Amino acid sequence: MTSLATNGISLGVLLRGDLDSLTTWLSHWNGRRLAFCLAVIFIGAGCYGAAMGMWRAPLQALYVAIKFPLIILLTSLANALLNAMLAPLLGLNIGLRQSFLAILISFTIASAILGAFSPLLAFLVWNAPPLSATAQASATYSFIQLLQVVIIAFAGITANVRLIQLLRRFSTGRAAASRVLFAWLAGNLFFGSQLTWILRPFIGSPGLAVEFLRKDALHGNFYETVFRSILYLLTRK
Amino acid sequence: MNIDPIPGNVPPTIPPRTPISPAPGLQKLGENPEEREPIPNMVVAIEAVLRQPRRIMYQLRQPGSGKLIGSMLLATIICILVYGLVVGSFSMHDQLWAAPVKLALGLLLTSLICLPSLYIFTCLSGSQARLAEMVGLLSGLLMLMTLLLVGFAPVAWLFSQSTNSIVWMGVLHLLFWFIAVFFGLRFLEAGFSHTQARSAAGLNTWIIIFVLVAIQMTTALRPIIGTSKTFLPTEKRFFISHWGDNLEKAAKDSRSPD
Repeated sequence: MTSLATNGISLGVLLRGDLDSLTTWLSHWNGRRLAFCLAVIFIGAGCYGAAMGMWRAPLQALYVAIKFPLIILLTSLANALLNAMLAPLLGLNIGLRQSFLAILISFTIASAILGAFSPLLAFLVWNAPPLSATAQASATYSFIQLLQVVIIAFAGITANVRLIQLLRRFSTGRAAASRVLFAWLAGNLFFGSQLTWILRPFIGSPGLAVEFLRKDALHGNFYETVFRSILYLLTRK
Repeated sequence: MNIDPIPGNVPPTIPPRTPISPAPGLQKLGENPEEREPIPNMVVAIEAVLRQPRRIMYQLRQPGSGKLIGSMLLATIICILVYGLVVGSFSMHDQLWAAPVKLALGLLLTSLICLPSLYIFTCLSGSQARLAEMVGLLSGLLMLMTLLLVGFAPVAWLFSQSTNSIVWMGVLHLLFWFIAVFFGLRFLEAGFSHTQARSAAGLNTWIIIFVLVAIQMTTALRPIIGTSKTFLPTEKRFFISHWGDNLEKAAKDSRSPD
């Protein structure tokens, strides 16, 4: 632990948003720091995913523990090139490696927060009645869903606050940092939502078998479904 | 009584004017030594269009800018072929080669069709730019635009594998294209602002023409996303009527029972 601390690799540095250390992380990156971030993402987001899936079945917990970190890493990788191009175009002169690492650091912070909340979620799920067809319509199901939204939103907001502080350090004006953050968020949300849709289920449904991917995973997309639901609500007589 | 509020000795000193360094956009091209560094190959050109667009603008004014223009056009063709492959992956089979070919052809044709009007409009605006410089700026626009499309390619691929809706994919590709064109046009406008033009009205008019021609080109070379028995359409149509028909068909399909 001491050696980790002397190398500046610690969760505290990330969570406190120690800008001097984080700037050094981005400027002088090494494999150990990358491994540290990946480990935090796999452990933090994995534990949270397991807590999310364990309400349905232990196998579902294992599946979600794998899928949750995968979403984070695939989103970061798939949008890496685009994010690196958008940064200089919007006024922030950082390279591909730096933009990728800045996003990875923010996801690491979010994963650490999610990981910290996973025992709480697991405890709540353990105390909840078994997930059944009737439970899906119950107040417990709604409460657990809402709580997950609150936890994920908290983790996301905190991570992005840290990210914008870091971006401001690299930019000449506050506006450029905000523009870049907004563009990155839009791209990551757009891609991440669809990836999450493909990799469903997460909480699981008692009426359906436990599986890693649904058979119709690649049929339809998140936005089409939302659009159809809105259309259905508007045209329902 | 004669009251003189101003003391009769030394007049108040005027504070010396501190020189204000102009914003980078207003600086003369080439004032920064980094901008004078030559661009030897395509990779440096790609890096420069993203990070140092003024370096490209400066180099386009130098003798022998043809090599730079060639590099930018080559990068454009490679990038549009890559993005075209992703577009074609929606329908697979023949579209895997047809979509990249059509997109590359369409982009080059659009540029060729619009180049004369770009030069005329810039000259009418009082611009001192030579034709070669305008060709260079247009090549920069195309390179930046197609680079961004390659950046969007993973997102486009994911969606093309998870939907059967041609309309949805059409809207998505158009959205990506508009974002890419926005940044490309911003590069062109920045380059144009250094050509001593009196007004940007001519360039703004040309931008409308360019966007309309590019959109119509996608209809003239259809289908790019879907499939067809013939490489090119047998019926001539305007893009608005083509889009309208597709939207109507999609609405009908969504209403019909599965």
